[in-house]
Amino acid sequence: MTAFVVVGAGEAGGTAAATLREEGFDGDVVLIGAEPMAPYERPPLSKEYLRGESDHVYVRPPGWYEEHAIQTRFGTRVERVHVADAVVELEGGERVAYDQVVIATGSRNRHPPIPGLDLPGVLDLRSAPDADAIKEAAKSGSKAVMVGMGFIGAEVAASLRELGLDVTVVEVFETPLEHVVGPEIGGAIEALHRDHGVEMIFRDGAERFEGDGRFEALVTKQGRRIEGDFAVIGVGVEAVTDVAGDGIPVDNGIPVDATLKTAVDKVWAIGDVARHDHPVFGPIRVEHFDNAMKMGQLVARNLLGARAVFDDAHWFWSDQYDANIQMAGFATEWDDMVVRGSIEDRSFSAFLLKEGQLLSTFSMNRTSDVRRSMPLIAAMAQPEREQLADPELDLRKLHPPKE
Amino acid sequence: MAEWVKVGSAGEVPDGEVTAFSAGDRQIAIANLDGDLHAFDDVCTHQQCSLAEGELEGTTIECPCHGSMFDVTSGEAIGGPAVDPVGVFEVKEEEGELRVLVDEE
Repeated sequence: MTAFVVVGAGEAGGTAAATLREEGFDGDVVLIGAEPMAPYERPPLSKEYLRGESDHVYVRPPGWYEEHAIQTRFGTRVERVHVADAVVELEGGERVAYDQVVIATGSRNRHPPIPGLDLPGVLDLRSAPDADAIKEAAKSGSKAVMVGMGFIGAEVAASLRELGLDVTVVEVFETPLEHVVGPEIGGAIEALHRDHGVEMIFRDGAERFEGDGRFEALVTKQGRRIEGDFAVIGVGVEAVTDVAGDGIPVDNGIPVDATLKTAVDKVWAIGDVARHDHPVFGPIRVEHFDNAMKMGQLVARNLLGARAVFDDAHWFWSDQYDANIQMAGFATEWDDMVVRGSIEDRSFSAFLLKEGQLLSTFSMNRTSDVRRSMPLIAAMAQPEREQLADPELDLRKLHPPKE
Repeated sequence: MAEWVKVGSAGEVPDGEVTAFSAGDRQIAIANLDGDLHAFDDVCTHQQCSLAEGELEGTTIECPCHGSMFDVTSGEAIGGPAVDPVGVFEVKEEEGELRVLVDEE
């Protein structure tokens, strides 16, 4: 019987395994993940879950896998994928044979070599137990010191403020998310957090964490000493490629073609770990929920012979306080930005263009612009600046005609 | 027991649009697909956002918050993070009123 093995049981891996069954595959499906829990959604961990407003949100109900004859090995790390033998080696040495294997090992938090990083009370957020540790620290503490204000940092800062804690964030760039969205939009996010009482220090970084057996203060590169009850560091992630290395190429993640297949026979990669060749953006690696879910769905169909291309325009959201932030597309550099709506009033969309082509749309509280711009991004459209800037113009009017 | 409840006026939902209405303590969304009305729970089963504020494309409504997708004719969750369906209701325009058939609670 054909056996599909999925390595990694997060959003991407869980969705891939489930979709195989939902598409009617009746061979063997093995889902192996290092975390002991059934696949769960990570987005709530910095938001509703952290604030105690929701319990875990599962990709499928925990009992679903057994009901659908999916063999699960949760709490089991995969050591290596041995492509020559077509087996997956688990920790402890057990080997699981595959006909096709999907690598969905995700990403892990970056841990820069900062002295004191290992002190108790210096926390970060990736997994449900990480979120539990921050929740616990927030219960007994009243002051959090944070390092890094990307999306995770900004969301955790917002949640901690909503829980009533004092929050100070140190960020190396000039605004939150400056390297992702530029200083103007970053400034809007800064203003949002300032109005909610977050103290932000820019152009500064972590020199060392201090404390007598436990975190007491962060000393910054500029010589500030910021005391707090605990620290949360969020300075980005890196792809987890440990299982490759025996013949599977690695280059900022695991490179795959547009069908999510690696250069190696029978080996696929999805989610955060997959550097996929996107028809619009070229080779990119994307670390968002929607991407993980959609790649999981698509790889399952391709395992069953669909040969479909992953051409999703990419999309994610970030809820901070009462602001709904969404972003579509992918842009690491742009030469023009068009704003519709009002940045000051926190109801705006910003369109990032390069040589006239719309690459990405960022929105705060104007989310329909994001959704409606996605067909334009996918079509590599070059919309007129005036049309983009006109808040009355429904972007659907600019969509290319349907086939 | 189910009962027809007035939620608005006939013609209130333009073609291709979705509007939210209150029916008692329920929020119900009504979509107009080429003149056919479809009523469904306005509350997304993922994280309770109002679906009426989302995008309607064909028979699919997409949640404005996190991209969950539902078929407005059946309530089925067909994409995005939501797994559970939304409830659907019978809807009609009669005597100048927009009416929805809801269970009495």
